[in-house]
Amino acid sequence: MSDRIKTGNLKNQGAVPASDANMPVFDQLFDLALRLLPHLALFIAIIAVWEIAVATQLITSIIIPRPSAIGGAIVELYITKGTIYRHFIVTFSESVLGFCIGAAIAVGLAVCSALVESFRRYVIPYAVVLNVTPGIALTPVIIAWFGYGMGSKIALAAIISFFPIFVNTLTGLTQFDEDREELFRSLGASKVQVFAKLRVPAALPLLFAGLKIGLTTALIGAVVAEFAQATDGVGVLMSRFSFQLNMAASLATLLSMTAIGLILFYSMEFIDDQIVFWRRESRREEKSRARAKAWKKRAGK
Amino acid sequence: MAATNVGSYEHSTAKLHTVAIKRMAIHAIIFFCFIGLWEFGSRMGWLDPLFYPRPSAILHSFWLIYVENGNIWFHLYATMSLVLFGWIAGSVLGIALGSLVGFNPLVRRFLKPYVIVLEATPRIAVAPLLIAALGFGSMSKIAIIMLVCFFAPFINTLSGVVNVNEDRLELFRSLRASKMQVLRKLVLPDAIPVIMSGERLALTAALSGALVAEFIQRDQGIGSLILVYTRNLNMASAFACIFTLTVLGFLIFKGMEMLDRYIAFWKYEEGRVRISQKRREKMKGTSHVG
Repeated sequence: MSDRIKTGNLKNQGAVPASDANMPVFDQLFDLALRLLPHLALFIAIIAVWEIAVATQLITSIIIPRPSAIGGAIVELYITKGTIYRHFIVTFSESVLGFCIGAAIAVGLAVCSALVESFRRYVIPYAVVLNVTPGIALTPVIIAWFGYGMGSKIALAAIISFFPIFVNTLTGLTQFDEDREELFRSLGASKVQVFAKLRVPAALPLLFAGLKIGLTTALIGAVVAEFAQATDGVGVLMSRFSFQLNMAASLATLLSMTAIGLILFYSMEFIDDQIVFWRRESRREEKSRARAKAWKKRAGK
Repeated sequence: MAATNVGSYEHSTAKLHTVAIKRMAIHAIIFFCFIGLWEFGSRMGWLDPLFYPRPSAILHSFWLIYVENGNIWFHLYATMSLVLFGWIAGSVLGIALGSLVGFNPLVRRFLKPYVIVLEATPRIAVAPLLIAALGFGSMSKIAIIMLVCFFAPFINTLSGVVNVNEDRLELFRSLRASKMQVLRKLVLPDAIPVIMSGERLALTAALSGALVAEFIQRDQGIGSLILVYTRNLNMASAFACIFTLTVLGFLIFKGMEMLDRYIAFWKYEEGRVRISQKRREKMKGTSHVG
């Protein structure tokens, strides 16, 4: 559980009952519904209180719109008019592309600095300077350099997502178990083997933690750059709606950013789970069973 | 034997010293080569000085904005006062709510989905909404900074309070420690360093939040200054402002490290020594009186 703190999320902290394979599907579904029910009740209660508070003028509807108005705006944006999809795709691809560029540079530099000590010495000061500068401050300059289109957003997303990935990869690659390294050396492992079989697997959990942080910051970079100047994107749509004081539509757009964030985060979590399978008990066992099966098959031949 | 040891020690420190100087020199050489190349490229016309300002031009604008015109002080003050105020308010709120939720499993269970959703939302993105709701001016800026600051201390307080070492807790319980004792002697010593790292993240985020708020409002502060300079294609001055922010970010980093050393002293060797010395002196004083 302690490695969850680093990624700063709370997802796996609740007591999730292990799904019993022998349990009938219906019972499992019923169990799930029973667990979700109080959450749903609370959610509906909050929405109802909110709706009533706005309807009775306790809260001004200009500042905080009714939940029903937000729902209406969501329906309008997603179904009847469908305006959001274009912006959604633009922002999504900006953050993913920016993230990919930033992550590629960060991982490349981190691997080089982990392998060559002198390279690390001369790269780190610049990385630190880049880190202490609030990357968002570069927004106007980046827009002047890369124009009003998608390029500037991708660039800002790349710059902002660079540092967390770089630092995590570098720490992961440099902090490995000394005893294990000695074991590797005493068994006559080559340098390549030490790197591929010891340092990379040791670095992967931290690398993925960094990638998750980087992905969220990339989205922030893309959205902030859109606030500053853009023609397409969720950020532009949202600032347009808020300056029209169309708060319901603005909140609906904000929820679409949440959706982008969730999609990005959970895809990374999925990849993390697939690659760093040894981090979670159940996944590790599943993998080892699959490998045992493969070995048996080969032995049978 | 001892003498040779000392001798070799001195020898090695001297060696280390020269190595350090050499390294600094190489760093400086690389840095100046880079700057020189940039300046040269700009003067040769390979880099458009309109977009990529010369180092000398940036230095000149440092002189302009700090001394000759001195216009940055006003904006620096405007930004930093808001950042500090919003940071303190946001982190107090975050720590209070975090410990409230952390000590209360029921609240934690019901709050979890909302926390997940909030975590996925880019929080700075709420800026236009808050500006529309609260109007232009410092109110909305402080609200944005508070919102951006709130989350890291909240999450870290929560996880610091929740992730108590089970074995130690059992030891505490078996020694019949009171709840207050468990809190003061077990939970807080482990939680405070985590909370402090959350605070550090929050302060950095606060600066970013203030910048975004200023980009949107365009009235005063470093953010709007950078925006105006860039719009006028006065890139040298914009870069001077950005490097000012670099220095500021560095100061924030160092300041938070010092604060961390002061508050969570038990994490550092020298802090432990300092505090134990202080306590020893105090004990001595009371024994004299006694």
